[in-house]
Amino acid sequence: MTYDCVIVGAGPAGMSAAIELANAGARVLVLDRAPRAGGQIFRSAANSPLSDSGALGTDYTAGSKLIERFEASNAEHLSEADVWHVGEDGTVLYTQDGIPRTVQTREILLCPGAMERPMPIPGWTLPGVMTAGAAQVMLKSDAMVAERAIFAGSGPLLYLIVAQYLRLGVKVAALVDTTPRRNYLTSLPKVPGALRSWPMMFKGLGMMREIASSGIPVFKGASNLRVLGQDMATGLEFGCREQQRVMSNHVFLHHGVIPHSNISRSLGLSHIWNAAQHCWQVQTDAWGQSSVPHVSVAGDGAGIIGADAAQSAGRLTALNILKRLGRLTPAERDRKASEDHAVLAKMAPFRAFIDQLYGPSKCLCLPQQADTIVCRCEERRLQDLKEGFEQGARDPNALKSLTRCGMGPCQGRQCGPIVSSLLADWRQEPEAQVGYYRLRSPQRLLSLEELSRFQSRPRGGAE
Amino acid sequence: MFSSLRSTPAKTVTVTVNSQSVAAPEGQTVWATMALAGQLTTRKAALSGEDRSAFCAMGVCFECLVQIDGTPNQQACLRRVRDGMHIQTQDITETSKAPIQGIPE
Repeated sequence: MTYDCVIVGAGPAGMSAAIELANAGARVLVLDRAPRAGGQIFRSAANSPLSDSGALGTDYTAGSKLIERFEASNAEHLSEADVWHVGEDGTVLYTQDGIPRTVQTREILLCPGAMERPMPIPGWTLPGVMTAGAAQVMLKSDAMVAERAIFAGSGPLLYLIVAQYLRLGVKVAALVDTTPRRNYLTSLPKVPGALRSWPMMFKGLGMMREIASSGIPVFKGASNLRVLGQDMATGLEFGCREQQRVMSNHVFLHHGVIPHSNISRSLGLSHIWNAAQHCWQVQTDAWGQSSVPHVSVAGDGAGIIGADAAQSAGRLTALNILKRLGRLTPAERDRKASEDHAVLAKMAPFRAFIDQLYGPSKCLCLPQQADTIVCRCEERRLQDLKEGFEQGARDPNALKSLTRCGMGPCQGRQCGPIVSSLLADWRQEPEAQVGYYRLRSPQRLLSLEELSRFQSRPRGGAE
Repeated sequence: MFSSLRSTPAKTVTVTVNSQSVAAPEGQTVWATMALAGQLTTRKAALSGEDRSAFCAMGVCFECLVQIDGTPNQQACLRRVRDGMHIQTQDITETSKAPIQGIPE
């Protein structure tokens, strides 16, 4: 049996697309790694381990409505299904409960979501250093918090987790804000456009006020971050007017999110460099269709737009897939899509403002010291890469072959963006010219033992 | 220090983390179970052998690779505890020899 559409990822985009497709009668299967749908943003929103998940904010609790609508739809959903290969021929390979399986599909919709932009500062590999997103994931799925932690970096997600901690009564050691002061000026021209999404603006300002009035130490315009410690993190050193030190065994880093592109890269889809968001993203048209017509990408995985916009993008992509399946005429697709197109157009100026205000500082994207680790898996430092570059490795793949940078288990998820930008800096050329690693399936470590359990009979297929 | 704000005491299971017996709510991630037990080292770095710990907690960094019931390279942040599970810090480095079943060293 062949599905009309297989969706990889059950976040806001994937769930919204699945509902649209299923309602139109398409055979749709959603594969997702989590025990319950929601993605990272709505993780455990429908089954929070917290007694009062209201502390996480109304945006989060509203996620349970979408999850319930998705679960009530006719879309098939396999939870804890870890997809490790998606082929252009419509073959999707995944493992569920230790058993690798295969499904066939006519249309593929990737909704891989976002991951945090790597922040290669000295000491970022020490135990105790995690990302702000990690703090949120741990809070949402396991109600786990770190007392007296330092939060360092910039961007809405960083402030959100600090505000959530404070609401829950968890002590915070400090917020070390690296947003360059000039960004407040350079983003000013985008404020009028952003005000079209004034509830978002107010929400953001309210959160900042919450943090400011809490009395926790806030260091603004911080730079030259260094995690202290030998065997584990013991604190953070940084410049803020003068040299500062805050001691803690927990340091959470964050300076924005980027699309998680390992599946779209392995599929060989075209990717472009988004200069405004300072990241790579898969190339899609206004309907989420990629350079391979039967493969679409929606949500943050196709360029950072946020959870609300991702729902619109998911529906739009689904409408186009329905057109491709012959279930909608182009005119019907366009008519049904007009509202979501309008929503996306309305939200775009707010996103542009956020991108400008919290645009990542170059000194946090690029390691600044010769011995700072770039490739966490293979422990390759800035000096190792510079040496490789000087030996003639001028593109990411050559550098990878020469230095092993990017050859470890994360498959370049952490060092890939850094390497592109480092080479762009050294070559004095844009990232678009430099390129990115060439990736291949499987998307994660796969043991021969796991592979030997492969069930070749397609799920739901004839005996 | 990590702590848990979990309100409803779920059904608990018992696992071992590096031989330490630990009670954990059913369905809790392996990483959270380790962290709440104070065992933060998930693996050793491949070259230097330095301690590493979970970094992203969402499956993209592969820092939390642990050994579960003897099988290495398991992402602790994605796996969930089951009763009787044996969780161990993964100490495979460039210099370690792979034990292959049935083949003497």
